[in-house]
Amino acid sequence: MHISEHPVLKEKSNEKVFFYFNNHRLEAKKGQTVAAALMANGIRKLGVSRKLSQPRGLYCSNGRCTSCFVTINGLDHVISCTTLVENNMQVFSNNNDPEIRGEKYGN
Amino acid sequence: METDLLIIGGGPAGLHAALTADRAGARVVVADESFSLGGQLRQQTQWLSNLPGQYGYGKKRGTWVNEQLINQVGASNVQVLKKHTMIGSYLNGNIGVSDGDKTFEIQSRKNIIAPGAQEEAKVFPGWTLPGVMTAGAAQILINREKVLPGKRAVMVGSNDFSLEVARQLNSCGITVEAIVEEKNQIICSDGELVKTLENVPVYTNSTIEIVTGAGEVEHVVIQTPDGLKEVNVDLVCIANGFSPILEPFEIMNCHFVYQKELGGWLAAYNIHLQTTNPSCYIAGNAAGITDFGSILLTGEIAALSALEAMGFISSAEGTEQKSRCWRELANLESEKVLQARTEMLADYHQKHELDLPDYFMKIKGGKMYG
Repeated sequence: MHISEHPVLKEKSNEKVFFYFNNHRLEAKKGQTVAAALMANGIRKLGVSRKLSQPRGLYCSNGRCTSCFVTINGLDHVISCTTLVENNMQVFSNNNDPEIRGEKYGN
Repeated sequence: METDLLIIGGGPAGLHAALTADRAGARVVVADESFSLGGQLRQQTQWLSNLPGQYGYGKKRGTWVNEQLINQVGASNVQVLKKHTMIGSYLNGNIGVSDGDKTFEIQSRKNIIAPGAQEEAKVFPGWTLPGVMTAGAAQILINREKVLPGKRAVMVGSNDFSLEVARQLNSCGITVEAIVEEKNQIICSDGELVKTLENVPVYTNSTIEIVTGAGEVEHVVIQTPDGLKEVNVDLVCIANGFSPILEPFEIMNCHFVYQKELGGWLAAYNIHLQTTNPSCYIAGNAAGITDFGSILLTGEIAALSALEAMGFISSAEGTEQKSRCWRELANLESEKVLQARTEMLADYHQKHELDLPDYFMKIKGGKMYG
């Protein structure tokens, strides 16, 4: 949920951004990170872990723990807590290891 | 890219250092991996006391100080590289940065490395479930992102930071259902802060037994001296303290020391905030976990040392300014941290056979050396 009346910070961002998560259209506010925008929409499970396939989500929100990685506009393993959400961004939960060898990377 | 001073990290220490160096006429580049400057200061809405004199006496909100710093940097000649991460160093000593797309080297005469601190994790069954996050992450969500991370929360840990975040979560409408502390009493030293949370149950001598839920946090079991206590919450915040970030110093081949009161392992440094790599200075929480005023002052000392080494200020002026900074720091910093810092410095100087300057020996009437 978005915080509409912050107890301390009165400045508001009202500019809306629309993006997609697993093909669902969602609304966010400009200036929010992808992870926060998903959380504002009630989505906290961002994918599963690589080895045990357990649910994973945002943990440190600082780009250090990398627990919140997703696929953004076709790029695997993007850290969603350090990436700002943009209009028409295509976000998918990233449930596999990234493809690093393949035609699309030229090898 | 070429510059006099490269600063890695655009949080309060890095920005304050950048402004100090800019005023003395040095060319400064600040590289930060985030999309905006300010580091962890961006979401510190609480009142900060213990500010150095130049920020005006009296209390200021962290977010207000952050705005001041960013505005001052904007009005200066400091060149800012946002979304640029330090990823390595070259054989010639240059630092490599990358924006994820392009990687390039920055040739500098001196570097100040101010990457800040990281929050320590705490491990229990269910700690990886979505909805379990660090207290710092929850604070970023409410204050920077303006998003509620949950409705009902358990705070694990009772240090100053955890109670401050618990208070802030509460003021945003999140019910803090429990504070869980493994020690036998609340750690927080701020009586007023503790009082604002007097309606929240505190479980001392207690730990998290397990966190469960279908795909995200729904249920927490707390192991207390009176048996198991169960709460239905959707948010578990972990406040297990901070430790200095080390990787950039590893890249620069700096030596490390262990000082428990400074947050554990950190790059060793001398009175000039210079590490064992003579081109690299250290500042902020990376130089030992401390209060906000000392974070700024270590940035200033590092900048003054770099300026002195590059010839932008005279040795006499450097000594005078650093003497003022150290005196101010000694007055602001908590006794435990100051003592640990002093011990580390004394060890460093002894090991490297360097004299400690007179002004340092005289701080607090020489009492720092007991």
